[in-house]
Amino acid sequence: MKKIYLVILFILALGIVSLGFITNQQSEKHPDVDWSLGCQECHSERTPEVYNDWYTSRHGMVNFGCYICHGDGQETFYAKGSDAQCGGCHAGQLVSFDSSKFKSCFDCHNGHTLKFHND
Amino acid sequence: MSLSRRDFLRASALTAAATTLGVGTVFNSKMFAATGIDKDQFMQDSQGVMWHKSVCRLCGVGCGVMLGVKDGKPFGIRGDKDNTVNAGLLCVKGFYLNKMITAKNRLMYPMIRKNGKLTRATWDEALDFVAKKFTEIKEKYGPDALAFYGSGQAETEETYVANKLFKGHIGTNNVEGNPRLCMASAVGGYISTFGADEPVGTYDDIEKCDMFLLVGSNTAEAHPVVYDRIVARKKQNPNVKVVIIDPRKTPTNKIADLHLQVIPGYDLAIMNAMAKLIIDNGYADEQFIKDSVNFSDGTNPITYEDYKKFLEKFTPEYAAKQCGVKAEDIVKAAKLFGETPRVMTMWCMGVNQRVAGVFLNNLIHNLHLLTGKIGKDGCDSFSLTGQPNACGGVREGGGLSHLLPGHRVVANEKHRKEIAEIWNVPAENIKPAPGKHTVAMFEALGTGDIKGIFILCTSPAQSLPNLNKYLKGMEDAFMVVAESFHPTETSQIADVVLPAAFWGEKEGVYGCTERRSQHMAKALQPAGESRWDAFILVDIAKRMGYGKNFEHFTTAEAIWNEYLKTTKGTDMDLTGATYARLKKVRGLRWPVPSEDHPGTGHRFTEGDPYFPKDKAAGKRMYFYTKSDGKAVIFARPDKGPEEQTSPEYPIALTTGRILEQWHTMSMTGQVPELVRAAPRPYVEINPEDAKALGISTRDKVRMVTKRGSLIVEAKVIDRPRKGTIFVPWHWPESLTNILTIDAVDPGSKEPEYKVAACRLEKA
Repeated sequence: MKKIYLVILFILALGIVSLGFITNQQSEKHPDVDWSLGCQECHSERTPEVYNDWYTSRHGMVNFGCYICHGDGQETFYAKGSDAQCGGCHAGQLVSFDSSKFKSCFDCHNGHTLKFHND
Repeated sequence: MSLSRRDFLRASALTAAATTLGVGTVFNSKMFAATGIDKDQFMQDSQGVMWHKSVCRLCGVGCGVMLGVKDGKPFGIRGDKDNTVNAGLLCVKGFYLNKMITAKNRLMYPMIRKNGKLTRATWDEALDFVAKKFTEIKEKYGPDALAFYGSGQAETEETYVANKLFKGHIGTNNVEGNPRLCMASAVGGYISTFGADEPVGTYDDIEKCDMFLLVGSNTAEAHPVVYDRIVARKKQNPNVKVVIIDPRKTPTNKIADLHLQVIPGYDLAIMNAMAKLIIDNGYADEQFIKDSVNFSDGTNPITYEDYKKFLEKFTPEYAAKQCGVKAEDIVKAAKLFGETPRVMTMWCMGVNQRVAGVFLNNLIHNLHLLTGKIGKDGCDSFSLTGQPNACGGVREGGGLSHLLPGHRVVANEKHRKEIAEIWNVPAENIKPAPGKHTVAMFEALGTGDIKGIFILCTSPAQSLPNLNKYLKGMEDAFMVVAESFHPTETSQIADVVLPAAFWGEKEGVYGCTERRSQHMAKALQPAGESRWDAFILVDIAKRMGYGKNFEHFTTAEAIWNEYLKTTKGTDMDLTGATYARLKKVRGLRWPVPSEDHPGTGHRFTEGDPYFPKDKAAGKRMYFYTKSDGKAVIFARPDKGPEEQTSPEYPIALTTGRILEQWHTMSMTGQVPELVRAAPRPYVEINPEDAKALGISTRDKVRMVTKRGSLIVEAKVIDRPRKGTIFVPWHWPESLTNILTIDAVDPGSKEPEYKVAACRLEKA
């Protein structure tokens, strides 16, 4: 009897874990917040380090904001930026990753400071 | 395995070649497949994506943009790396162009106001109605009871057709465009100083320049890609200097070496003071002045000595007192200007949107003429144009009430004859007297002098100054609005609204700041029932009985080819800019008189195809658009703003733009990401002023001028000068222009959006 319970428990556990895994992969949702605010209004206080990383970067200096990589938060949201977005404005800097162990802009460029190799 | 760069470039080249054959050419998707497309979403989705060469829909920089289309729908945007203007770089607004195409507020069908409500109609119903009403008005009240109000965002072909219809056939010169509200003073400055419109140099001068003087321009936010080139130039050579004259600290200040933070409206004194210092300290290029410069007081010619006498009052101390800056900073600015070998001055709305706009433009040109820093590498008085096609369509296409295509004027009999011949109408059709300029035009809607108006690609019910004065006139008149988005402040009060095809859905040419005309591909079918603006106008022309001279306009190229005839032999010759050529290259800078001519860098000097070597007789420059080849230095008084501050209205109100939004938000306001950047209207208040009034950020404040009052959120920030506030004008829910003044420059008729007197209080 005990063994069956253990087996059922195991299967259930597996199910819950994989559900979490699937949910994690499929849902990138920004917490529901006061959407009358802009990103900077919250994040300058909520995530000051990341905000400062961005603020002092080449993007921050010209106020090219969070939304470029992360979406507007409400209608579109990406936890991480993607090469596709970089390529939109930086079409002149598209490189080949063919003969390189690096496969993405972000392998070398920090997403917020934009610095090369996190220098 | 990623798509290799070489393969991607090859594919891009293939696409570029493909697009010259027109929309619908089969794209060789095998190219991508062969390289083993990887997991990267961008590259992966690129299978079957056709990238079309175009130009950004937004500001006057003229960045090259590739519009990606897949399965007949907009797929994405990327910068055109082969375009010399931006080399593949885009700003945040251009980045979202594809989202604007598919915005939820795209207008999909025509509408007619019936029983007070806009209701859906068919094209035939709408256009028959427009043609009938316009014809009725014309027959009962005369052609001048009709008007056309167009845009610096309309394609050149669209403005050309409108001009031909209204000036050449209906017979009214009431043809205006919103560049009257932004660039007219620059036009006035160029024409009075040089005899012809638009800059002498190009963007090429940026990379050779050693000093940038930025006057009334927040380049970082309003012309970001030009700003990026200045930043790159300064990074390449840290000795490059940037001097700013502006009432406000802006993001542009990040690279400033010197900022003269002036009281708004009083900066003419600084220009004259700089001229005086330049001459007194021996920085004037006496030979250049002798060869290429005349002097004038605005009415009569004067001598160089007269001019020096005129400048005597403009000591640095006098100018400093006028505009509230330090005299030593004016001296510094003049010294830098005089000593630095290669200088570019750039300016925008802070200079143009003033009752002394033309004067200030002249004074800027004066500095470059005094020092000879013009018409050579790295040197120019280079006006930044706001809209993407103010130059191409309106200034060059003649879409203002006193102009005709090809830099001609209605007042000139020879010009009327030349255009009438190309338009195939009797010369008498074109009236010699200029029509009503924009403010007068909308005033006339109110008085009933104008009873019918066609508005194309612009929203005067948000953009006119002293807005409340003009709204009733627009409501009372028979107003037809051709627009891609609905509702806008203007479309929602129209009698007829016609859905216009948007960027990417129509072929045509845009001419940007540096005289570069560039072709935009038609990459998509117009959304819903929308139609190309030019074809809408052609259809109306036909229904009004003028079809004979419009029926050959069956393609964009046919219209462009007729337009080219108007430019042949003029200082803005575009004969060599055929569609075949424009589709291949990244634009051409006029004059480009033949198909094998590469286009022109510096005008009025060696390299300009019209530079008359014989007449120049050894002089470096010959301004052949002036009868004696000499440009004019004008002794202009330091005229102040129309509305000075007073005890009742003690704060100077200035208005402007932010990076993320374009004009009335009909396009950029549909992009959630751009809205997120600045979700609510606000006013920038200097911390000292805020403290005195007990105002904190996010408090509601009331701004009151003689014309209206508005409540917005405060943003306390060290940007506007003490005693000045700055209000962006983008939000339809917070119409800034009910506060602004509609006083205009007497020469250019451009309103003074940049200075008004205001009272600020906690709401």
